[in-house]
Amino acid sequence: MDSLLDQSSLFLQQLVNGVTLGGVYALIAVGYTMVYGVIQLINFAHGEIYMLGAFLAYTMVTVFGIPFFAAFILTMLICSCFGIVLDFIAYRPLRKAPRLAALITAIGMSIFLQNLALMIWGSQIKSYPREVLPPILFKTAWSVGDVTLSWLQIFILSITVLCMAVLHLVIHRTKIGTAMRAVSQDKTTAALMGIGVNRVISFTFAVGSAMGGMAGILVGLYYNAIFPTMGYIAGIKAFAAAVLGGIGSVPGAMLGGGVLGIAEVMGAGYISSEYRDGISYAVMIAVILFKPSGLIGRQIREKA
Amino acid sequence: MREISLQANPGQIVGIIGPNGAGKTTLFNCFAGLYHPTRGQIEFLDSPVVPEFSEAMVKRVRRYAFFFLALGLIWLPLFWSFFLPGALFKLELVLLGVFILVIRCLLIRGLLRLQIWAWGLMFVFLLSDLCFAAWWLTHPFSPASLVGARIPVGYIAWPWGFVAGPFSIYLMIQLWVRRVRQLYGFRLRPDAICRLGMARTFQNIRLFFNLSVLDNVKIGCHAQMRTGLSGALLRTRVQREEEAATESEALEHLRFVGLEKRAFDLAGTLAYGEQRRLEIARALASRPRLLLLDEPAAGMNARESSRLIQLVLRIREKGITVLVIEHDMRVMMNLADHIYVLDYGRLIAEGTPDDVRSNPKVIEAYLGGGAAHAEA
Amino acid sequence: MGFRQLGHNPRLLFFGLLLLAVLLPWLPLGSSTNYILRILTTAVLYMVLALGLNIVPGFTGLLDLGYVGFYGIGAYTSGLLAIHYDLSLWVILPLAALNGALWGTLLGAPTLRLTGDYFAIVTFGFSELVVLVLRNELWLTRGPMGLPGISPPSIFGHPLARDWEFFYLILLLLIIVLLVVTRLQDSRIGRAWFAIREDEIAAQCCGVNLIRYKVTAFAISASIGAMGGAFYAKWFKFIHPDMFKFWESILILCLIVFGGMGSIAGTMLGALILIPLSEVLRAVLPQGLFSARYLIYGLVLVLMMRWRPEGLIPFEGAQARKARLARERLNL
Repeated sequence: MDSLLDQSSLFLQQLVNGVTLGGVYALIAVGYTMVYGVIQLINFAHGEIYMLGAFLAYTMVTVFGIPFFAAFILTMLICSCFGIVLDFIAYRPLRKAPRLAALITAIGMSIFLQNLALMIWGSQIKSYPREVLPPILFKTAWSVGDVTLSWLQIFILSITVLCMAVLHLVIHRTKIGTAMRAVSQDKTTAALMGIGVNRVISFTFAVGSAMGGMAGILVGLYYNAIFPTMGYIAGIKAFAAAVLGGIGSVPGAMLGGGVLGIAEVMGAGYISSEYRDGISYAVMIAVILFKPSGLIGRQIREKA
Repeated sequence: MREISLQANPGQIVGIIGPNGAGKTTLFNCFAGLYHPTRGQIEFLDSPVVPEFSEAMVKRVRRYAFFFLALGLIWLPLFWSFFLPGALFKLELVLLGVFILVIRCLLIRGLLRLQIWAWGLMFVFLLSDLCFAAWWLTHPFSPASLVGARIPVGYIAWPWGFVAGPFSIYLMIQLWVRRVRQLYGFRLRPDAICRLGMARTFQNIRLFFNLSVLDNVKIGCHAQMRTGLSGALLRTRVQREEEAATESEALEHLRFVGLEKRAFDLAGTLAYGEQRRLEIARALASRPRLLLLDEPAAGMNARESSRLIQLVLRIREKGITVLVIEHDMRVMMNLADHIYVLDYGRLIAEGTPDDVRSNPKVIEAYLGGGAAHAEA
Repeated sequence: MGFRQLGHNPRLLFFGLLLLAVLLPWLPLGSSTNYILRILTTAVLYMVLALGLNIVPGFTGLLDLGYVGFYGIGAYTSGLLAIHYDLSLWVILPLAALNGALWGTLLGAPTLRLTGDYFAIVTFGFSELVVLVLRNELWLTRGPMGLPGISPPSIFGHPLARDWEFFYLILLLLIIVLLVVTRLQDSRIGRAWFAIREDEIAAQCCGVNLIRYKVTAFAISASIGAMGGAFYAKWFKFIHPDMFKFWESILILCLIVFGGMGSIAGTMLGALILIPLSEVLRAVLPQGLFSARYLIYGLVLVLMMRWRPEGLIPFEGAQARKARLARERLNL
């Protein structure tokens, strides 16, 4: 049996890794939850935007030779445009349609985008070439005993926290944020109050997609591997995080992301690494069965 | 809604009026079993739709449930010690243990929500706890250690067994006691209420628009039919006869509301007034004793609402009691024997149509404070 | 417009097609007969699967994304029973169906209370878990090594080996499933399902026990999927967890959406058009592009929902036709 010190350092390392992964899930989950808040639809294609972010940055860096941080910003911009376009062509025409139709469209878009990426980039796993990345990212920032924290992890964590803070400010202190909250509560009244509902929805998609794209690049850096089906897996996990925190609630998504990241890493480390993805599915199913409104979310009742 | 007390006697037409948002449709939803009131009792034909239960009883059940949960959490490491010798770690057993714990939690949630399946399943779990406790109590010096750690499991298992055993028996008895048993299973679901004999229409028309008119009424007959899966698959003689009988009965109901010519059109193609009548036909198809009509004359002109009044009177002649929510005062005054007035979720007046019409509180509710003084 | 003519006398059309199908192996098509038979066998298999899935979103209005899980359960049930116990197909098929119904009930009972979106996700999670279990439980399924050497079905001691024999077998299965589905559609259960699809709350107030009917629909759908899987295992003689990935569910969903959700004829037509189309794609496109053919299926889903959500042969049309026939029957 391992000594107590070994065990605790393993635990701490898992915790650090878990929080980092959780931050990434939170970034993606926020996109899901915001879109669900305003149009009550699960945007299955969100995972694909995350994947697209990773691949766009890769293409920019390898094919066009754009410096890394410029590519980072550029990818975020392109992803947010992409989110707006996605809403415009796929979801907006179906605003009045029954839920089933919108769900099917979302899944269709997701499958379409996955395979498009497969066609364009092939199915081989790619990674960001080391030359273009700032070398500091690979150095260890801090280590105590066996527990290490790399600059990359600090980078990811700080970006995540920064984004969450900015998002919180936007939602609660700006006009458009208030408009978003209004639309998510009652669309018709918001429209009557003079809020351009479609514009607010486009904005929501833009912000969510930008964060999703960014998460894609971060994961590509962290695991040093990107492949076209990564969106599908991460998308489901992020959705599980959003549901865990309470779908429609942004702080919930952040909390859910953190919890899920830690749970997954702990589970993979202590229980089994083959069922790693299964842990997310199990958490999601458990939350949906027990408490569909999640940790923070609210219940909605249909009027008879 | 608070402090509403309402009674409908057989053969009456009872009206419910009140300004918008007063809670009239909410009241109907409570009757039909779609909403559950937090307190109060609803009885239909001497069956409790919502039983009367005391707060103390519910608190007691809650306390027991949490105790059961706590015992369950200790149960989990005992389970693992039982099956996992030494430090050997088997994923499947871990998952099984967690799975059973999850079921226990779901069970407790159902128990707290007063659902009958939880009550039934509880006995199985309590029995298993009893057996498990009995085993540990009879094997005090078992060589197992607690989940591979250096704690001999007996230190945990014995106290647990002493508590879990008698507690399980006690809880089983408690759950069987009549007053507690009544807490479960009498929250009737809407379809059970329909089978008892209550049918309703809706404020916003809820027809099955993509089905034919006849099919809509046939679905209304659903509660009174018997055939199931095997009948449908094997097309037994009983099933075929029942289908034919249902079809003629459905046509009969359509004839009663005057829609038999449109029996084979899709329900979505009907005019508004016809759709309202179709809803009534569908409700009548379940052979109700009590019919709840939610704003049946909404959007109708004078001629149509006169026909509606005649229709409801004919329904009363059939022996069906009717509860009507209506805004159209002419319809209400002509139909109702007794009227209840709601405002802001409270009952503010009741009586015959004439009483209600001149009641100052009612006038105030509809027209505002000044009007009551003006009348006087 | 041609589909309206179809609507007027579908019985005749169906029996005509069936006759054509039965005669197909004997037509002088030369050396490509076997190839065509194999494609058609696949198409009919997918017809069976699509008819099974049609029950849940088509009749009951709930989105089931985890259908491939039942397909896989059926296939592995059949494969394992064939390898370990060497049972005949006529025993395996009902057993697989039963297993499918069991898992459908187990999954459905707690989850069918949820709203549509959550139910879809949970079914998706279920199918992923099934694939994970199939891949990792080596002691049961041999995991990624697959399950080779499944014996072919045999009738009266004669093992089926030729393509036309399997074709007739799947046609038989199709006829059985069609019988089940059409009988269910025109009965009290079918009406209850349609009521649930149209308006759950109104259905409840008419006396329909939501949970019971939803679980029944789900279980029957699962058992049909499992039967399809059982056939597949016996036909292909080799199964592997990667054959039962989520994308198969999407393909089957696509067949239903394309043909018309809820309408039986539409479902069959969807399968008849899209499956041979994918074979054509396989011949025409280079390998790399072909593995991305799901792109087209995804696109089909999006486009259909945008421009013709009722599919090629709409459900409402079938209802209108049924009503017209009833009117003629009753002379009203």
